[in-house]
This record gives sequence, structure tokens and C-alpha cells, in this order.
Amino acid sequence: MPDPTIAQSSTHDIVVSGQGVGKTFADGSVIALQDAHFNIKRGSFVSLVGPSGCGKSTLLRLISGLIPPTSGEIAVHGTPVTGPRADISMMFQKATLLDWRTAIENVLLPTEINGTPTKADKNRAFDLLKLVGLEDFAFSFPAQLSGGMQQRVALARLLQTGADILLLDEPFGALDEFTREHLNMELMRIVQEVGATAFFVTHNIAEAIFLADQVVVMTSRPGRMAKIVDVDLERPRPLSIQTSVEFNKLVEDVRETLGEM
Amino acid sequence: MHNKNSPATFWVFEFIFRVLPHLVLFAVLIWLWELAVATGFITSIIIPRPSKIGGAIVELYITKGTIYRHFFITLTEAVVGFLIGATIAISLAVSSSLSETFKRYVIPYAIVLNVTPGIALTPVIIAWFGYGMGSKIALAAIISFFPIFVNTLTGLVQVDEDREELFQSLGATNYQVFRKFRVPAALPLMFAGLKIGLTTALIGAVVAEFAQATDGVGVLMSRFSFQLNMAASLATLMSMTTIGLILFYTMEFLDDRIVFWRRENRRAAASRARARAWKNQL
Amino acid sequence: MAVQDAIPAPQAVEDTAGTVRRKRILRHAGIFLTLILMWEFGSRIGWLDPLFYPRPSNIMRSFWLIYFQNGNVWYHLYATMSLVFLGWIGGSILGIGLGSLVGFNSVLRRFLKPYVIVLEATPRIAVAPLLIAALGFGASSKIAIIVLVCFFAPFINTLSGVMNVDEDRLELFRSMRASKMQVLRKLVLPDAVPIIMAGERLALTAALSGALVAEFIQRDEGIGSLILVYTRNLNMASAFACIFTLTILGFLIFKGMEKIDFYVAFWKYEGGRERVSAKRRAAMEGPDHA
Repeated sequence: MPDPTIAQSSTHDIVVSGQGVGKTFADGSVIALQDAHFNIKRGSFVSLVGPSGCGKSTLLRLISGLIPPTSGEIAVHGTPVTGPRADISMMFQKATLLDWRTAIENVLLPTEINGTPTKADKNRAFDLLKLVGLEDFAFSFPAQLSGGMQQRVALARLLQTGADILLLDEPFGALDEFTREHLNMELMRIVQEVGATAFFVTHNIAEAIFLADQVVVMTSRPGRMAKIVDVDLERPRPLSIQTSVEFNKLVEDVRETLGEM
Repeated sequence: MHNKNSPATFWVFEFIFRVLPHLVLFAVLIWLWELAVATGFITSIIIPRPSKIGGAIVELYITKGTIYRHFFITLTEAVVGFLIGATIAISLAVSSSLSETFKRYVIPYAIVLNVTPGIALTPVIIAWFGYGMGSKIALAAIISFFPIFVNTLTGLVQVDEDREELFQSLGATNYQVFRKFRVPAALPLMFAGLKIGLTTALIGAVVAEFAQATDGVGVLMSRFSFQLNMAASLATLMSMTTIGLILFYTMEFLDDRIVFWRRENRRAAASRARARAWKNQL
Repeated sequence: MAVQDAIPAPQAVEDTAGTVRRKRILRHAGIFLTLILMWEFGSRIGWLDPLFYPRPSNIMRSFWLIYFQNGNVWYHLYATMSLVFLGWIGGSILGIGLGSLVGFNSVLRRFLKPYVIVLEATPRIAVAPLLIAALGFGASSKIAIIVLVCFFAPFINTLSGVMNVDEDRLELFRSMRASKMQVLRKLVLPDAVPIIMAGERLALTAALSGALVAEFIQRDEGIGSLILVYTRNLNMASAFACIFTLTILGFLIFKGMEKIDFYVAFWKYEGGRERVSAKRRAAMEGPDHA
């Protein structure tokens, strides 16, 4: 059984926790996730890494409330997760912008759904677009934006609600390496600034370690959390840290865990 | 759960779950309809009783069997008209795709033909081709021409650049590119056009029959309607529907067979057939 | 040769493009005129039977007659088009309404499916004589026929548009805890607009055909009746003038629908995107300056 992780001794700092979380599909014939335990401290950046079918995306969806667990319970800010909620915001691999709305209107979408956007909301949306470098494209339509730009709009939309739990499911996977690197750096900076707790799903080991404070290594068949690796490297993280000895030791560690199962 | 040991049992359960609810609903609707007319809730002049329709069906299809001649006449008109329209449409589309100049000169006239409602030509067509089947076939051909033409042309002209490069790198001649690349790539769209064309051909045949004819399902319907024999008219409508269904499913069948790569089970079947042919050659 | 001569000035290139187009139009016009002249000539020397090929000069004379001298075509055009629009609107409301209803209700969909298949296979126009006999001669049966003929495309398209909303988008809305009404208003409806517009285009074309058929049977008024009467009297020139009137009408409808689509489904057009982009920018930046 994997070790429950309490990164710091003060438990009231735990914002997301899961006990014995499991999810099966197709009347029990597909075990997507089995017996997951975790306690995540506020402000952590957690990576979920593993091969296809290890349940990392499933775990993310369980935390977001989009799907219910078949067993176990997940709590966010002390209350159990029963469905999508205001304090959790999620970003997917596809930008999924609405073609008939401009960039800024897409960013304002979550605010619109929860009421009428105020002037403050609109200013915030604009500032977020500035944050991701798209202030000149605020009134452009998705069809006029490249894939990377669309994902940046989706990132701004993620941050619009001010939710402090951010879930990202391989958000930059479809982009080219340079854009991905740039956006990863931006993401880390923003999460740090805002003080949010982030969960980031990826199948790239180096990326997982580079971004995170903790790496949840998951294995498949059946999907489960094999190990949680603490990443004690300095913040803010320079790109160059990927060549350091400590970094590569962590990569080894994760690889070994994945290889064992 | 169900005992699915024998195929027969399986089909019985399939029938009960899939088909039976529809049959039950249909029976209930017919019964309600009958009731509504019998109690005078709906006047029987406009909407006849199902029992009367049933009687008309028996008379037309079984007792006197008058309908079959008309059925085949309309079916023939639609199919022949479609074939003529399709042949001309496909030839023009193929020529247009092969020659840019040809396309440029044909397109304006095709557009004019498209925006004009083909139905408007009915009286003129009848004046030209007379009262027999000829005018029906002609109208069907004219109306079915455009959808087939535009779909086939679009299909032939669309360019998948990657595939085009592949063929060029293999040193294919223009003719080979056309036959092995453009034609198969155009087939899905072409068949979509053919389906539409077939439907419109039937409409053309029927409308021409309304205007002037002695034989055909359209004429029969028209005649019964103006004799206020609504029951017989609706019974005849069933024939019309049958023709439509025959045409539709024939096209579906051809589409499935010829454009086989789109359907999963057809792909598998074609794979097996090819594997066998290959083996036989070795 | 100087370098400047080798590289054509941008101005010159633009002129070439414009000239090519002009030349092309002239060529088309030239060929068209030649055909017309050949037709006219062939008719005059008796090669072409005036029954089949009314003389172009006669057709033009008919145009003059029906539009200006007698001016009878205007009333008939009005008669036909007013019914067409009424029927089109009725058919659209029916089609879109039913399409949405069925699209949102899977039980309804399952039970209606066989009837929809049968309805699709039957040429709706075939019911025209029945409706005329049942509802009597006059406008009501004509409108009924038009509604019947043109409701199917909006129905099928709305059904498709409502049912084929992108799964990822639905999940996005779910993750934002949107209510059903919000999903409908902010996602399903805008998403379905382009395909519904396409259905409307087909419906309008079908409506015109339906009106013509109704007029062929009733023979009271309208362009269809006019064509029928002229043909019966072997006045082919006037019949053709009417048919070409319908061509112009059809073309206007085509362009009109295109224009409407440009405004309603603006995000599919580059020009539309730019136009609305500027509009939205002005709206947001206008009254409240950050």
C-alpha cells in the first residue's frame, strides 16, 4: 500500500485529501483506479505521471467532481467532493473554446455562468489575457488563434474564477516543445503568484518532476498510485535544473518505480 | 439474465425488445385514430378511418391489384430519369475536373440551372415530351442533374495534398492519379449526391404525373383525391413510400458495397476477400 | 536590363489580376451572346421549332410585356412569394420546434424513428392533391402544402445540430456547474445555428417548389399558374420569360440567404469574424475604460 503523504506536520494545511479512492467502469470489469490515498498541502504543485491506463486522468476527474468514485472519498477544503464546485477549476488537453465567442468572452464564460460579469470581472479577464501574453488578441476569435494561443486562452479561463484548486490534464500535450516549455514556466510562475494548489497530469517524466513539489507515480493494470516522490529542488526553477544531478536522480527514481510494476 | 444459448432465443429477445414496442405503439395510434373518427371527433372527410384505409389497401393491393402497374410505371420513370441525369451529371463533372477551361464554361450554366426551381419547367417539359412516360423521365433527369453534378465535381476536385504528393513521388501518370486517387476519393461525396439525386428524381416523376398523365402512382393519388376517396389516396401513398424506401435502401446498399472503407464490418469483409484473392494468386 | 525592370511593381501585378477577371467575364459574355445570336438566327431561318426554342427576341418582348406593358407578372409574383414566405416560416417553426423537442428527448426519438424514416422516404409533395382535396382550393391548402414540403430539412438539421454537440464542450459546461438552461442558451443554440441555417436554405428552395406544384394543380394565380397557362396556349416565349423570372428570383434568394448566413453564423466567415471582433471591442472598451 502506498504511503500516505503528509508533507508538513500541520494537518489543517491539507486542502485536498483522498482515502481509499477507487473507480471502476463497465460494471466492475475495468478498474481504472484502485485504492488511492493522498493528502495534499495548500500551495503544492502535484504532478501525476504514468503510462496510459494508470488512472491519472481518472483521478483528476474524480477530484474535480466530474465523475463519482466507486469507492472511497475525496475531500477538498474539508468538505467531500460531490460534483463540480466553485473552488475547483479544470483545464483539459483540448482548449475547447467556443467558436462564436471572442477570446475575452471565452475567458469570461465561467463568470457568466455564475451570474452577470461585473466591470471588475471584465478587467480581471483582460488582465489574465495580459498575463498569458494575449492582450492584443482579446477580441480575436478562436479560428484566428493558433493552437498554443488557444490553450493560453483556456489557461486564462482556468484562472478567471479565482479557484484555488487547479486541475490540468495534459494541457500542453498537443503543442510543440518550445511553446510547451514556455507555458510550463508561465504556469509555475502564475501558480506561485496566486498561491494555488495545482494538479498536473502528464506522461512525460522530466516535465512532471520539473514542475512539481510532489510527483505521484502511477502504474497501470490496475491503475494505482505506486509512490509519491518529493521534489525538494529550489524555486523558482530554472530550465537548467534539468541537467543537475539531483534532478536526474529523481528521474531515475520515478523510472524505476514505473519499471517495477 | 437471458438465456442466450441458442441463436433463435437471441432473435426472439431482440424482437421483443426492439420491434415489439414500436408495433404496440403503432397499434395503439391506429386504434386511437379509428376511435377519433368513429366518434366524430375528427371529420372523416379530411381524415379517413383506418379501417377504410385498410379496406382500400386490400382492394388495391390484393383483390383488384390495380396498383402494381402504376407502381412500376412510377418506379421506372424515377429510375430511368435518375440514370439519365446521373450519367450526364457525372460525365460533365468528370470532364470539368479534367479540364479547367471546360469547367469554367460549364459552371455558369450549371449555376443558372441550380437556382431555377426545376419544378417550374414541368409544363414546358410536358409540352415538349408529350403526355407519356417521356416527360416524366425528362423532368426527373433534369431535376436530379444538379446535386449529382455538384457533389461529384466537388469530390473530384478536392485535393488531399499529402496523398497527391505521395502519388507524384511514385511517378504516377495523370491518368493513374485520376483513376487510383481522385476517383476513389470522390466516391463518398458522389454517392451522397446520387442519394439526393435519386430522391429528387422521384419527386420530378411524381410532379410531372400530377400535371399530366394517365398512369403512375402520382396520377392515381391525384385521381382518388379529387374523387374525395381519401382512403384509397392514402393507400396509394403507401406505394409512394415503398418506392422511396426501395430507392433509398438500394442506394445505401450500393454505397456500402462500393464505398466500403467507411464502414467497419465492410472493411473487415473486404480485407478478408482481398486476403483470399492474394492467396489464390500465390 | 536594370533590376527594376525584372521585378514588376506591385501596382502592375494587381492590374493583371483585375484584367484577367475582366477578360474572363467578357469571354463568358461573348460566348453567351454568340449562343443567343445563333439561337435567334436558327429560329428565324426555320431551323429551330418555335415550340421548342422560342426566339430570344420574342422572349425579350415577353419580358417587356409581362413586366411593363401588361405588368401582370408583378401580382402573380407577389401572390406566389407571399405564400412561399408564410409557408416557409410556418415550416421552419414546425421543423425547428419538433427538431429541438425530439433532439432533447431520447425516448421520443426512439419511438419516432420509424415514422421519420418513412416520412423521409416519401416525397412530401405527393400529398399535395390530397391536401387540396381535403382543404379545398385556395390559399390554405397551398400554405399547408408548402409547410409540409419545407418542414423536413429544418427538422432534420435542428435534430442533428441539437444532438451533435461536442462532448468536450458539454463537459466544460458541466465542470463550470452550468444549469440546463445555460447549456441550452450558451452552447447548444449557438452551436446549432450554422446547421439550422443550412436547413433553412433548403427549406426556402423547397417552399418555392411546393408553391409551384400547388399552383400547377390549382391553376388560379401565381407564377406557376402563369407558366401553365402560357404553355397551354403555346405562348412559349412568355412561359420562358416567367421561368427566367424564377431564375432571377432563385438567384436573389440564394444571395439573400448567403447574406443572412454571413450575419447569423458570422464566426464561420473571416470577414464576419473581423466585423464582429471590432464590434465587440468597441462595446467592451467603450463605456467602461479600464
